[in-house]
Amino acid sequence: MTERIPTRPAPGRHQLSREFITQHQRARIIAALAEETAAQGYRAVTVADIVRRAGIARNTFYDNFSSKEDCFLATQDFAVAEALRRVVESASRVDSWQARVDAGLDAFLQYVASEPELARTCIVEALSAGPAALTRYEESLQAFVPLFRIGRKVSPHGEDLPQTLEEQIIGGIFWIIYQRIILGEAEQVEQLLPELVEFALTPYVGAEAARRATA
Amino acid sequence: MAADPIDTSAESARDYPPELARLPPGRHGLPREFVVHNQRERLIAGLAEAIAEEGFAGTTIGDITRHAAVSRRTFYEHFSSKDECFVAAYDTVMATLSERIGGAFGEVGDWAHAVRAGIAAMLGFLASEPNLARLCMVEALVAGPVVVERYDAAIQSLVPYFKAGREGRSPEVLARLSPTTEEALVGGMVSLISRRIIAGKTAELESLLPDLVEFTLTPYLGSAEAAKIARGD
Repeated sequence: MTERIPTRPAPGRHQLSREFITQHQRARIIAALAEETAAQGYRAVTVADIVRRAGIARNTFYDNFSSKEDCFLATQDFAVAEALRRVVESASRVDSWQARVDAGLDAFLQYVASEPELARTCIVEALSAGPAALTRYEESLQAFVPLFRIGRKVSPHGEDLPQTLEEQIIGGIFWIIYQRIILGEAEQVEQLLPELVEFALTPYVGAEAARRATA
Repeated sequence: MAADPIDTSAESARDYPPELARLPPGRHGLPREFVVHNQRERLIAGLAEAIAEEGFAGTTIGDITRHAAVSRRTFYEHFSSKDECFVAAYDTVMATLSERIGGAFGEVGDWAHAVRAGIAAMLGFLASEPNLARLCMVEALVAGPVVVERYDAAIQSLVPYFKAGREGRSPEVLARLSPTTEEALVGGMVSLISRRIIAGKTAELESLLPDLVEFTLTPYLGSAEAAKIARGD
């Protein structure tokens, strides 16, 4: 997370555009919220904690967000957009759908491992951070559905697969990651890649082909 | 959190005469076994109703005692806080749910059909008790770390039902199951159920049975056989 916390603009150097500064501020605040939330749990975190961690003025926080909850929702949006971007970018480098699932999941697990605080915030704390955060979490899972649904085209029985299959696969993957984060093992989630790929591919192509795809 | 739009049990309870509205067997969001025998159970029922209307965060002790039709003093004779009352309610609901699942699973000899029966029992209970479904699958997550721990443990407690499916399988089948297969299956199943409850579709949960059965049996039996059992053949 530290590499994405920008340093403060040096005093007196105001050639940076207002938009650039605003984006930096938002990124700093989001990073601070994730760090505080991972450390104390969402409920215990105060705006004062976030402000202190981000090294900004309280007013600056309220210039960007209306409340702690607003900031939390923005953090979720940021993380989901970034995760999707990484997944799609990684998947687009390979051809077959099976290889794309492998590459996409790999990128996702790497993201979780490299940002354990953000991951805890968005995968664990989001569930208990209130109705709006929970809805946002559900929507973010839904965002991954189309990436798996393509597998119906390569499946010999694609037409007959349960309508809710993708939701269950994604729910299962998130549950496994959730458990690892709770156990403090977020940084080791990359080790789960082969079994998660196999888990995701099996309903579409059968266990044998799924295993070959992970070999 | 707004009350489940499909859940009309709280609405309909208001149409009853006061005495029945307080304790209408089977209509106040609690199963018949919960029919209130004492104040503690009445408070738990009151909490479930209040939470269905207000969500956990919005529910006050006043809401609970109003729904339970007991005094505030009675509340404090049984519980020291809303949180404590919630934990008691959660444990009561989960004990019933796991008893239903275990009972249904145990009645069927063949493992795959037993899994189907267990899932059917779970969906049946949740669909018929929308207030309790919301309490144990959604509100539990916002009710603080103590309940979240119990929630995690409750989900993990479903793992052995699926692990039993490894017994007697060929080495080829066993080789393609990973150490986390069951966890992923249970997580996928629970996640789908929760999403439907959050979306206000609790009444439709039983229609998920074939999907959930096919999904959970596929790693052990392959899709064709899993689909057959899912359809109830």
